[in-house]
Amino acid sequence: MEDPIVRIKNMSKAFPTGESEFLALKNVNLDFGKGEFTGIVGPSGSGKTTLLNVIGSLDTPTSGEVEVLGLEVSQLSQKGSSELRSRHLGFIFQTYNLLPVYDVYENVEFPLLLLKMAPNERRKAVMDALEWVGLTDKAQSRPAQLSGGQCQRVAIARAMVKKPTLVLADEPTANLDTENSLHILDTMQKINAALSTSFIFATHDQKVINYLHRVIKLIDGKVVSDDTQTGA
Amino acid sequence: MILKLALRNIIGNGWRSLINVAVIAIVLIGLIWGEGMWYSWLTLAKNQQREWEYGGGILRAKSYDPFDAFTWENGYAPVPAEAQSYVRGGRIVPILYSPGMIYPQGRMMNALVKGIPENQKVLSFPSTALNAADSSYVPAIIGREMAKTSRLQEGEVFTLRLKDSTGAFNSLDLQVSKVMDCPVPSLDIGTVWIDLAALRKVKLLPDAATVLVLKDASLTAIKAPLFRYIDPREFFADLNQMVKTKVSGQSLPFGMLILLAMLAVFDTQALAIFKRRKEIGMLSALGMTKGQIIRLFTSEGALYMVAASVCAVVLGFPLYWYFAVKGFALPQGYQSFGVAGFNEPLKFHYPLLVILGTLIFLFLLTVFVSWLPARKIARLRPTEALRGK
Repeated sequence: MEDPIVRIKNMSKAFPTGESEFLALKNVNLDFGKGEFTGIVGPSGSGKTTLLNVIGSLDTPTSGEVEVLGLEVSQLSQKGSSELRSRHLGFIFQTYNLLPVYDVYENVEFPLLLLKMAPNERRKAVMDALEWVGLTDKAQSRPAQLSGGQCQRVAIARAMVKKPTLVLADEPTANLDTENSLHILDTMQKINAALSTSFIFATHDQKVINYLHRVIKLIDGKVVSDDTQTGA
Repeated sequence: MILKLALRNIIGNGWRSLINVAVIAIVLIGLIWGEGMWYSWLTLAKNQQREWEYGGGILRAKSYDPFDAFTWENGYAPVPAEAQSYVRGGRIVPILYSPGMIYPQGRMMNALVKGIPENQKVLSFPSTALNAADSSYVPAIIGREMAKTSRLQEGEVFTLRLKDSTGAFNSLDLQVSKVMDCPVPSLDIGTVWIDLAALRKVKLLPDAATVLVLKDASLTAIKAPLFRYIDPREFFADLNQMVKTKVSGQSLPFGMLILLAMLAVFDTQALAIFKRRKEIGMLSALGMTKGQIIRLFTSEGALYMVAASVCAVVLGFPLYWYFAVKGFALPQGYQSFGVAGFNEPLKFHYPLLVILGTLIFLFLLTVFVSWLPARKIARLRPTEALRGK
């Protein structure tokens, strides 16, 4: 793979459990390229979310190397990892995690405020993002007034508004029905194609797996398979 | 961005925010009211003492010590030559003190006799009532408190006995020409006022004075080696000290109220950080630094104080206005402390700088109290926060 945006080498992650420790990821070696639409699949407790967290610099590996966009995650300062997340990474969560006191527009605008983007540019970026997810008419609604599917689309718009290099989506369809799940996946696939944004999913939802171009299977913290899917 | 989000969060917090703001606002209204009261009382008491006792300054005979009764008999000095023309011109008022004994209705009472020129115009003291033209007795003025304790009334005659400068006892028959409403208790309690000339005559001290009350401070420059200038700081020291003591006493309940208000803020912030862990995790994932998140939560606490300050000023305004216009009658019992400022309704003035200082202090205190629980965020791992742990 040429110029991977994420490079993981002999990475392990352990969590202390009393006097011993639990090895959540064992000697993982993976590369992710630009524009990939990849999923990390596996049963609960297999280490999917932990791997996503390390890639997203929300956590650091216990051993090994994780390089994201050329930056070694374990070497980053707190400020440095915040900077990496705010500029280059987008997150989508299972429970949407929208700010309840903000309306849709403000939720989507929030990452741009962190980047100190000029108001005019910000407005255009937010409206574009809302258009990608088909929610321009809900710009003034509060999250409490939206359905689960709409909330997740707002979360996608929020993740995409700064046009990040990489989006990390942790079980994005787990709380959605089939129709909404497919709608969300279609949206993300379109964005992936249009902007060449890389997506890495952590999922065990077959509907998501069907969309993936590459499926990495984790079991008990070990990569057991890494397959490319054609026709996804 | 942080302030906007903080503001939205406290609005979104609904009743909990409202209760916090209400508690702090009530404390602030109480503080502003209290500060208004003490400041106004102190100002009124000082003004009254200036008008009735201090004038533009006082020169006191060095041989007289107000705190040592043994000095009172000989606590006087001749009016200095340089001051004589000012005395004649009415710009300096000599007052002579003498301990004495009065016999109202045959009873015996100690009294401090003070002689003041009946034609003086420097003090608000009603000395014209000492004019002896219509009386065969020496006219005397006493205050309401003295009238109560001596049971003397206007028109009543009583005997005064005192020592003259040779040590011989002399006596005078006095008639109460006026029972005055004096706002300065020290001029009233245990005191009998007669005309200076009459007192000097009976004391055989034709030119003596215990204090020289000056019309203005420029007269302090006159040469008076047997007198000492009592500056305002020294003169009002007791009053200032009393107010300080009173304020300290009052600050305990206010301190408790402030503590309660701060506890409410602390509790709300601690609860918010516990309940909003997922939000903290999400903000971290979006790229907010821990410092920014701590600032967000601290700002929320500080905004309670800002909102409460606005409420305290706006909602408390009718109360402040009422006490400024209608006034507040202080308990008469306080007059027995010998402090001025209790004989008329106290109209409040609000010391803006002191109030502003108090608000700023409380604002900083609220910021600190909000920051205390927010520090925990620094130790929170984003991955655990995202899981709500």
